[in-house]
This record gives sequence, structure tokens and C-alpha cells, in this order.
Amino acid sequence: MQRSRLRVMLGVYQQYWRINILTTLEYRENFLIWLGFTFVYHGSAIAALWIVLTRFPSMNGWTFRDMAFLYGLWMIAHALHNTLFSTVGDIPDHIRDGEFDRLLVRPLDTLFQAIATPGQVFPDELILGLITFAAATWYSGVHVDLLFVIFIPLIVVGGALIDLAFNLFISTVAFWFVRVDALRWIVVQLEQEFTRYPISIYSQGVRLLLTFVVPFAFMNYFPARYFLHKAHETSALPPEIGLLTPLIGVVAVAVAYAFWRLGLSKYSSVGH
Amino acid sequence: MTAVTPARPRFRLAPYLHFARVAMAREGTYRFDVFTSIASLLIRVYLLRMVWLALYARNAAPSELPLHAIITYSTIALLMGLVMDIDQTRLLHDKLHDGSIATDFMKPINVPLYFFSDGTGEVLFHAALIVPSLLFALLIVHIDVPSLPVLAVFFVSFFLGYLIGFCLNFLLNCIAFWTLEIQAMQLIVTWITDLFGGEIIPLVIFPAFLQRIAFVLPFASMFSTPLLIYVGVIKPGRYLEVLGVQLFWVIVLAVIATFVWRAGAKRIVVQGG
Repeated sequence: MQRSRLRVMLGVYQQYWRINILTTLEYRENFLIWLGFTFVYHGSAIAALWIVLTRFPSMNGWTFRDMAFLYGLWMIAHALHNTLFSTVGDIPDHIRDGEFDRLLVRPLDTLFQAIATPGQVFPDELILGLITFAAATWYSGVHVDLLFVIFIPLIVVGGALIDLAFNLFISTVAFWFVRVDALRWIVVQLEQEFTRYPISIYSQGVRLLLTFVVPFAFMNYFPARYFLHKAHETSALPPEIGLLTPLIGVVAVAVAYAFWRLGLSKYSSVGH
Repeated sequence: MTAVTPARPRFRLAPYLHFARVAMAREGTYRFDVFTSIASLLIRVYLLRMVWLALYARNAAPSELPLHAIITYSTIALLMGLVMDIDQTRLLHDKLHDGSIATDFMKPINVPLYFFSDGTGEVLFHAALIVPSLLFALLIVHIDVPSLPVLAVFFVSFFLGYLIGFCLNFLLNCIAFWTLEIQAMQLIVTWITDLFGGEIIPLVIFPAFLQRIAFVLPFASMFSTPLLIYVGVIKPGRYLEVLGVQLFWVIVLAVIATFVWRAGAKRIVVQGG
């Protein structure tokens, strides 16, 4: 019984990717222009870091080489999330236009169905992220040993889970307040801007916020600090904390999922 | 921008003032967005202050931009962004999308001017947000205020920069005459403008070869010129020259926009049979 349900879900998920890829192939120009956007988005962010750090060689002891690793680590985790779970962000739209009610009456988990709603997802950003991260690792001179090989994939998955937790959390808020675009915009911006630099440049309050409340610092800062051997960072926390990212990711998703279940049980349709 | 509608009646200003008023009222209904744009602005003011502090703490400061000048620069840039980052001509794209542009062509109005007044109404509403944002921002950072004549030139230059931004947005939205998927293209232009316009990083601290490229592009006239006037890097002796360059770009982009608009409007007529 359990096994056959799992098989059904796998089948659905395969179909989901089939449709995604077919849609992408159908709208090729559209895909190319979004690929161009991805290039420019990450390219201009990296260019900005490079320009600043050419003029000012050190940011609190971090050079451009270090910052490239910091950015690459965030980019790959963020891209992994965007590839697998960007559809979670569409849930508020489904709620608003009443489409969500259709998911409720079908015999599969609601969240799974929301994740597997086809659109035009293609793993282009993830591929770019892999290339960027590989280049940044080489460029920053991080020592690639067994620990690195084991932990980096786990950290990337953990980072993607942290992203997913926030995406799911914000989408769940839509059960109560139908419009959540503004909230999402603030969180997205917080993540995008504050993960770009080592958090040691911020005041203590912001550092605590980024560590314990919105733990974006675990996506890239803490792991990068560990692998780059940044011992002189002003922090009471030991460097090994950077290996905890997978755990933080799982906990964050668990909290967000509990909130989602609560929202789902309280949900009443907008009425169509 | 000239009209393409044939034989229109005598020009009256009143309808366009009304369009602007309607746009202002429409913007006012999205109160939560107002709150968001101020909140996100304050977050970025704080962020940039910390970034520049960290950079200036351990490195030799560039002589032309001391720490207080660069913090002033960033804060004013973000405030300008409240107005500059609005896509005032989005309405054109929306109307092309749902087809309602067809009826606008039948009305006795100058259609591009209609978009301009609608956009201006939207912008005026957001310009009003600058005052509360500035007051809040002053709680986070201290900014310099230049002398009155410099401030006056800054506003002239800001206005010319706004016109360049308007033409650029109008051009991008005109692309919707040919293909309706323009969001990605707009975002690409936004990121390029942010970087090469000097909105995030002053162009004067760019490496020399990039500086040369940035200063010949129109984006520098949108943000960098008014900002460098404000912080005093552009001295009064160069005012005429830089304002002239801005005016040059306004004219060039307006001419291009006119041509693209005409070509696009013709397509609508063809499609309408």
C-alpha cells in the first residue's frame, strides 16, 4: 500500500519534469532570455564584489577570493532550491484564484502536488551554480579533502532546505492573508543582500538575527568561515558550527511544515 | 513624442491632469506596498552603511570620496531609486497584453502623452514617499547637505535623469508590440542600469577601463551624474558639460522611442484589419 503510493508519486514527479522540459523546449526564445537574465543577475552581483574589492582589497579580512567562495556557496544552494521548489512560491496565487481547492480533493499529498505543478522550470541556474561554485573553490584555494567532499553536498542541500523553509512559511501565511507579495519581497531581499558579505561586518543584533531567527548565515557564511579557516572572525561561536547547516535546514523545514499543516487545517477557500 | 493618431481635435491639458490624478489615487490604494518600499529602503540604507564602514575601516580611503561622502551618496541613490526604479509605462505593456490599447487609439487623445501623464501620477505619489523615508533614514545614517545652488543643480540633473529613465522604460515596453514576454529583458536592463548607472557603487571607484566604458553609456546620466553633483565630485565648472550630456541622451532616446512607437502602433492597425 505505502509502496504503491510512493510509486505513484514518483511517476507524477517524472511527468512533472517531462512537462517542464518539453515546455522549455517549446518556448526556446523565452528560455534563452531567462537564461540571459540569470547570467546578468549573478554576473552583476559578482562584478560588483570584484569592483569594490579591487579598490578596497580587504573587507574585514575577507579578500575577493574568499568572497567568491562565499557567493558560490550561496548561489548553488539557492539555485538548487529554485530548481526543485520554486513552485512552492506559487501557492498564494493558487489560493487567490481558487485553483488550490482542486489540489485538496485529489488523492495525493497537497504540498507534493503544489511542488509538482508544472511550469517552465529548467535546471539552468543549477548548472550555472555548479560551474560558478567549482570555479570559486579552485580560485579561493580551498583545500578539497574528504571532509569537503562529504560535507559540501550536505551543506548545499541544507542551504536549499533553509530557502525552502522560508518559501513555505511565507506561502502558508497566504492562508490567512491572501496577499503575501510584500512579505516575500522583504525576505528575498534580506537573503539576497545579507548573504553577500561576511556577517561579521554587521552589528551584533543583526548577526544574531541572521544566525538564530532567519538563519541565512548558515547557507554560506558559517560553512565558508570553516572551510576558508577564518579564525579571526568576531564571533563567540566555534568554526565547526559551519558543519551544522544540514541539521539547521532540516529543523527549519520541520518548523515550516508544522506551520503549513496548521494553516491547511484552518484553510477556508476564498470562494469562487 | 509626437502623436500618431490622425486628425485629432484641439489639444486640451485637462484630460491629462485627470489621468495623472487617477494614477495617484490608484497607487494610494496599495498601502502595504508603500510600507514595504520604505522598509526595504531602510534595510538597504543600513546594509550599505555597514558595507562601506567595513571597507573603509581597513583600507586606504579614496581621496575623492571620504566615508561620509560615500554614505551620503548611497543614501541619496536609494532615495532616488524610489522614483527611478518605477516602471511608469507598465500600463502600455498591460494594455497590449489584454488588447485594451485598441480602444485607446480610438479615443481623442494623444496615446503616448496619456502614458506619460499616467506614469507621472504614479511617480508623484512615490516621490511623496521620499520625505518619510528620508526622515527614517536619518535615524540610521548622517548625510551631508550641499549648498542651495548645488542642490538646485542636483534637482535639474535628477529630472533629466528621470526623463532618460522614462524613455528607456517606454522603449522596453514598446517591445511588447512585438513580443509580450518582456519581463526578463526589463530585469536584465534593471541590473545593468544599477551597476553601470552607479546606483550601487559610485563609478569613480570603478577600475579605469570600466570607468571609461560606464561614462559613455546613457546609464551614467541617470544616477551617477546627479549623485556626483550632490556629493561635490563634479565641480561647478563642469555643470554645463554634464547637463549637456544628459540632455543629449534625453533627445537621442526620445527620438528612438518615437520611431519604435510609430512602428509598433502601425502593427496594431495591421492586426486590427
